[in-house]
Amino acid sequence: MSWAASPAAASGGAVRDDAGDSGRPGRPPAWRDGGRARSAVRTVQGIVSVGGAGIVWIALLGPVITLLVRMSPGDIWSALTGAGNLDPLLTSLESAGVTLLVLIVFCTPLSWMLARGKLPFTRVWEAGILCTLLLPPLVIGLLLVFMVGPYSWIGTVLSWMNQSATNTFLALVIAEVYESAPYYVLGAQSAFASVDTRLEEQAGLLGDRPFRVFRRVTLPLAAPGLAMSLAIAWARAIGAFGAVVIIAYHPYGIPMQIYVTLQETGLYTALPYALILLVIALPLPLAAYIWSARAGRRRRG
Amino acid sequence: MLDADVEVDRRDFRVQAALSVGPGERVALFGPSGAGKTTVLEAIAGLVPLRSGRVLLGDRVLSRAGVEVPPWQRRVGLLRQDPGLFPHLSVRANLLYARSARSGEVSGVAEALGIAGLLAAMPARLSGGQRHRVALGRLLLAHCDALLLDEPFASLDLSLRRSLTALVRTISTGRSLPSVLVTHQLADAQAFADRLLVIDRGAVLQTGTPSEVVLRPASRRVAELVGYLGFVPVPSGAGAEEGTVAGVHPERVIAGDWSSRGLVVTGAVIASRPSGAGWEADLRSGDAEFTCRLTEPPESGTLSVTVLDPPYFGADGTALDRDRNRA
Repeated sequence: MSWAASPAAASGGAVRDDAGDSGRPGRPPAWRDGGRARSAVRTVQGIVSVGGAGIVWIALLGPVITLLVRMSPGDIWSALTGAGNLDPLLTSLESAGVTLLVLIVFCTPLSWMLARGKLPFTRVWEAGILCTLLLPPLVIGLLLVFMVGPYSWIGTVLSWMNQSATNTFLALVIAEVYESAPYYVLGAQSAFASVDTRLEEQAGLLGDRPFRVFRRVTLPLAAPGLAMSLAIAWARAIGAFGAVVIIAYHPYGIPMQIYVTLQETGLYTALPYALILLVIALPLPLAAYIWSARAGRRRRG
Repeated sequence: MLDADVEVDRRDFRVQAALSVGPGERVALFGPSGAGKTTVLEAIAGLVPLRSGRVLLGDRVLSRAGVEVPPWQRRVGLLRQDPGLFPHLSVRANLLYARSARSGEVSGVAEALGIAGLLAAMPARLSGGQRHRVALGRLLLAHCDALLLDEPFASLDLSLRRSLTALVRTISTGRSLPSVLVTHQLADAQAFADRLLVIDRGAVLQTGTPSEVVLRPASRRVAELVGYLGFVPVPSGAGAEEGTVAGVHPERVIAGDWSSRGLVVTGAVIASRPSGAGWEADLRSGDAEFTCRLTEPPESGTLSVTVLDPPYFGADGTALDRDRNRA
């Protein structure tokens, strides 16, 4: 190439000046081979801290462990095969799925604008989101009755379209959206805020229009954080109960089914639904966690 | 040809600078931190709005009253202290990021920059110098029409800084790219540039070749910025006006009385210490104090030194014609 530097200026310089820096590419740092984990339990202090962490961890998992211990395969089988028993499962999956779509479409741009300070008086907007986070779900449900119930103007408009926002699938989705949205918005905001704006600026100078910058730089870099926020929102949506019990008693999702079964036939018959809730709610957060951990590893080379 | 005459409002002051950089020419904007140097670069790159002025690159208008070409259409390469590699993309994908980049050119550029063996690596695994090389390669493959360098190598050690500066010089000349370097290190500016613009608080104080600026500062402020550490009064009996001072650059002082080579100053040695391969001494002459570098350790008491061909400044701080003031 015409501008190729003299050997002394380019390749020679490269060999000399870069050799001693932070290690060769492709070699994992020593702590990743498990050496640190082994050395953690060699000292008394190490044993105490690992033991303490283990106790906290088991205590946190206590309900899950209890659930697994209390259940027999026969209980699970009869819960899954009873007539109409899978309907709440389907209702929960559908409503939480629609909720996630609503969050992605409407709340992702809001989170991005909050993260980038694109809105005037950002703090006011954030305070609003925090308010919805702080409202107990039961209160959200009560307020939703006044907001979208049959005697509200929204309810009236809905009734003109032969729709209703109480005790319908729509009501269930509304309740789940209100219970999960603040978690998603705040999580996604922090995911976007973690992307260095200098990188976006650099992508722009390299010829990308803003939307392409978003697609090629912002979104991939925020993706692990977005996935985790989405997973949390999913867990909130599928387990939503407080607002649901007020505004969407019907159709039953899994949490409603657990509550009703508990009321009607007692503790033991309600437990299998709890297991189902765990089993269907868990894969998405787990996948998001594994995926974001892998993305982080890939970035570290 | 990069032709910029920009005026940008900052919170604390207004930045005003005009520079014209020919193809393959290298210009350095030199000044203290916070002087507005980076703002000038960002104005050229289209990252901050102009209050008024214009930016022309080749036959393209980038900014002018009523015209504001967005950054992504400017084809201007900006290299900052943080090389800004995309952490989720491999070195190869980083190099090929720009849509104008052609994959056939990657190996040639990588070879010339000494990063050919790193194409599959992720940026996190690279050393500081390697990252800058990749960032530079990315700009070259993007076929930008001008290079803007915002103290890119400031965090690197001296030898690495030198080799990368030499590399950018070669590239700028070879590709006939107008290049602008922003730095607060005079040595970096001198190593890079054909021409120097001294900026302070948003205003260009002097433009000239690096040696012109250092040896003939246009004002006392410029002299302070380029390293003159003392100003000694010139006796009015020697034909100088009242209040005239001579600038003393520590590196332009020799021990002894050599009146044919400059201004002889006799002062009391206040302090001395080893500096590099020689010595540094603080002297007081009348009310003025100055520092000079000497080859031998000074003895205590008084010392006569010759300030080689010093610049003279009037009471208002502007440079005076030295022939008129020579004693």
